[in-house]
Amino acid sequence: MTRPNTDASDLLLDMRGLTLGVATPDGILPVVQDLSLSLSTGETLGIVGESGCGKSLTSLAIMGLLEGTPVRVLAGEIFFRGRDLLRLSPRERRAIMGNEMSMIFQEPMTSLNPVYRIGDQIIEAIREHRPMSRRAARDRALELLTMVRIPDPAGRIDSFPHQLSGGQRQRVMIAMALAGSPRLLIADEPTTALDVTVQAQILKLIVELQKDTGMGVMLISHDLGVIAETCDRIAVMYRGRVVETAGARELFQDMRHPYTRGLLDSIPEADEDVDRLSAIPGRVPTLDETITGCAFHPRCARAGAGCDSDQPALTAFAPTHFARCHYPLEPDA
Amino acid sequence: MTDAAPLLQVRDLKTHFTFRAPSTGVLPGPKRVLKAVDGVSFDLAEGEVLGIVGESGCGKSTVGRTLTKLEPATSGEALFRGRDILGLSAGAFRPLRREIQMIFQDPFASLNPRLTIEQTLAEPVRIHGLARTREEVRARISDTLVKVGLDPKVMTRYPHEFSGGQRQRIGIARVMIVEPRLVIADEAVSALDVSIQAQVLNLIKDLQRDSGISMLFISHDLGVVRHISDRVAVMYLGRIVETAPKAAIFEKPAHPYTRLLLASIPRIRPGRQPVVDLGEPASAASPPSGCAFHPRCPLATDICRSTRPDPVDLGNGRSSACHHAGQLLGEAA
Amino acid sequence: MTAILTMGRIFRGRWLATAGLCWLILVALAAIFAPLVAPYDPLEFDPLVRLSPPSQEHLFGTDHFGRDSFSRSLYGARMAIVIGFGSVVVALVAGGLAGMISAYFTRLGHVIMRIVDVLMAFPALLLALVLMTLLERSVVNTVIVIGIVYATTTARILFGMTLKLKGEVFVDAATCSGAGHASILFRHILPNLVSPLLVQASFIFAFAQLQAAALDFLGLGLPPEVPSWGNMLSESRIYVTRASWLLLFPGALIILSVFSMNLVGDALRDSIDPRFRNDIKGV
Repeated sequence: MTRPNTDASDLLLDMRGLTLGVATPDGILPVVQDLSLSLSTGETLGIVGESGCGKSLTSLAIMGLLEGTPVRVLAGEIFFRGRDLLRLSPRERRAIMGNEMSMIFQEPMTSLNPVYRIGDQIIEAIREHRPMSRRAARDRALELLTMVRIPDPAGRIDSFPHQLSGGQRQRVMIAMALAGSPRLLIADEPTTALDVTVQAQILKLIVELQKDTGMGVMLISHDLGVIAETCDRIAVMYRGRVVETAGARELFQDMRHPYTRGLLDSIPEADEDVDRLSAIPGRVPTLDETITGCAFHPRCARAGAGCDSDQPALTAFAPTHFARCHYPLEPDA
Repeated sequence: MTDAAPLLQVRDLKTHFTFRAPSTGVLPGPKRVLKAVDGVSFDLAEGEVLGIVGESGCGKSTVGRTLTKLEPATSGEALFRGRDILGLSAGAFRPLRREIQMIFQDPFASLNPRLTIEQTLAEPVRIHGLARTREEVRARISDTLVKVGLDPKVMTRYPHEFSGGQRQRIGIARVMIVEPRLVIADEAVSALDVSIQAQVLNLIKDLQRDSGISMLFISHDLGVVRHISDRVAVMYLGRIVETAPKAAIFEKPAHPYTRLLLASIPRIRPGRQPVVDLGEPASAASPPSGCAFHPRCPLATDICRSTRPDPVDLGNGRSSACHHAGQLLGEAA
Repeated sequence: MTAILTMGRIFRGRWLATAGLCWLILVALAAIFAPLVAPYDPLEFDPLVRLSPPSQEHLFGTDHFGRDSFSRSLYGARMAIVIGFGSVVVALVAGGLAGMISAYFTRLGHVIMRIVDVLMAFPALLLALVLMTLLERSVVNTVIVIGIVYATTTARILFGMTLKLKGEVFVDAATCSGAGHASILFRHILPNLVSPLLVQASFIFAFAQLQAAALDFLGLGLPPEVPSWGNMLSESRIYVTRASWLLLFPGALIILSVFSMNLVGDALRDSIDPRFRNDIKGV
């Protein structure tokens, strides 16, 4: 497989052939297959897909958070700044996590401990990685709360999580994630639990922080709109595989995979009236179904010979545009 | 819209919840009132779809639950075919339940896991005496399942054997099987994957058109509301702030909150610059004085802080509860 | 067939619980076939062999009337099962109804649950003792008293679960379909309580044994002539230095049976607790 030539010094994250499986009584079922993606410094990569496509598991595998789940890494490598995370000792991994690499989750209420003041939780996160006095850490916590645009940080630092609104809690989570000045921020559905007006604020914050700090951001969402508005590059996942990946503009101007097209056409948009949505027929496959060939073929209008038997390879349509389809869409006239 | 009397007329509907504030000492805390719905009025014509849109906590779901008498109304009237339903006893309302039905959000929670699909669907048929013999009941269930796009053979199975989209179809079958006149859909597609959401939306739209039922479509998703509604009402903190035919409301919002909502939606196609404010909805337990939106409103003036605006008829079926509605419309024109 | 498959799923990889289940099956068989298996009449006196130690003729020895302990133990298994099932039925029906109705009709529930709270303030044995002193010693009364004692905890548990189920969307959906209170309680809520009720039943079954044995031992349970493990213990306590086997065998039977029931109860509970379910669709 050919991949774009990226300046090695800029390459932050490079996943090669990552394959994850879940252990069930009926054996090991693959949940992510042969996933290869990379992310450079200062870049925002969006991963979009429906439930069960493996997008969240991928992020958990990067963060080393699969322990305690029935999911295992079966094959592949995850290079973070040249080191394979999967070959590091737990201690070496912990040194990276929360420091050079951190993560924010969907549900800001359950991610914060309800019995501690938010300031103490941020201070804890800071001192976890950098030995410093409580006073210095508190100053740094205030600085972080200011960075994430919490109104009146000095007044808010001693609040308990339940005293904050959902959006402010997510800001606190982002502040904690920034405590170690990470080079990579993974955001897994960071705005899914939030209202649309608050979502807009949080997305804007993430984009601004990314510009200010130059970190790489991996944004995972089921919402194509969120991804389109925030990301430089987009990977569309279906049933454990990347089916299409391209620059954001490139993808929407020239999509090649029928699933990407179907996903886009399924969304009722607030800017236009359509009489009927062109829905993708069938249903999102569950993990225990075995589908040979291309996993999308049972729902695909373009499916033809070979689709039900041969897994299509990731084919290049442009230097940075790849899709996995035997009968790709023609470029729009 | 027809000129005949509306099917449903809601006048100054209020649903308040009393709860105890957290205790500060030994004695129980003071009683507080949460004004979830605080003076909502609207008409719904025969065969019309009215979308109710707003963020979490705005009271949109409570409107639906009050109209189906799942929550008791505090005051106000809801005239269904000219007859007030809010004052009816549970027994007197039961025959009307056939005509007023509800589709719920969560397809996993809304079906009793211990009943087969046949048992679930037979219940309303039996209660309302729509079929006499077992064969008649079964025939009716078969017909309805076909109507919602399911194989009648599935009726012997249990809910856990179905995917989210299929379960929502079953939920819709439970509603359609009694041939209602008014359907209240509360976030009916919000829990579904995008590709499945489009299928279910198409189904709801087809069923609504074919049977000419009136529908109250409650959702937080503006794209979905635009797709399905004839007219849209926007709610903020327990009140309707703007009502208009859908084209008008999406093209020329006459309330600053509607404008903020529309600007906040993440767009797939680049174009609009998102407008972002820093505020979040206040709690309905302690709403701001005057216009509830004034702390977040760029147009707020002294009158907004002191006087609550009432909905003003702006002609062409639209009304807005904003002191500056005229200015907004003038700007857009 | 499906029942066997379900059992297989519940007990797979749990050898201790499986052993417990086997023991309980053995006890049940002993109870059913007691008249066929028992070498002697459990009530027959034989003064010639008073207090004889375990031997070929008398496997578990004999008591101070010369009655065969082994035969009495077999008939004791009958009593154990009657007491167990009886108490379970009383506790689940009374407690279950009280709990469900209290949770569903909140105002009435306030009154019922306060009565339950008062009853729960007494230690279980004390409550049973007080009730038994008011009643005649008989099998039926023992069952009723033990049932009432465990009805309180059952009511508490079902109160909480019904309250939660009452808030489920499918209950709202049933209301919107026009279902009445009885239909919602018994058609929609009750079937969802079957699994926790089953678990509760297995624990009540076990505790009822202990409770009945204790009542027998204190002379307030079953009539003294009834062969039950508790009565056997009670009668033999004065001979403990001379005839320890009289204490050993019924004591061991009670402990083994209660332990087995608890193991089976644990296995049942784990199998319905979603935290122990291996749900691959959730990941």
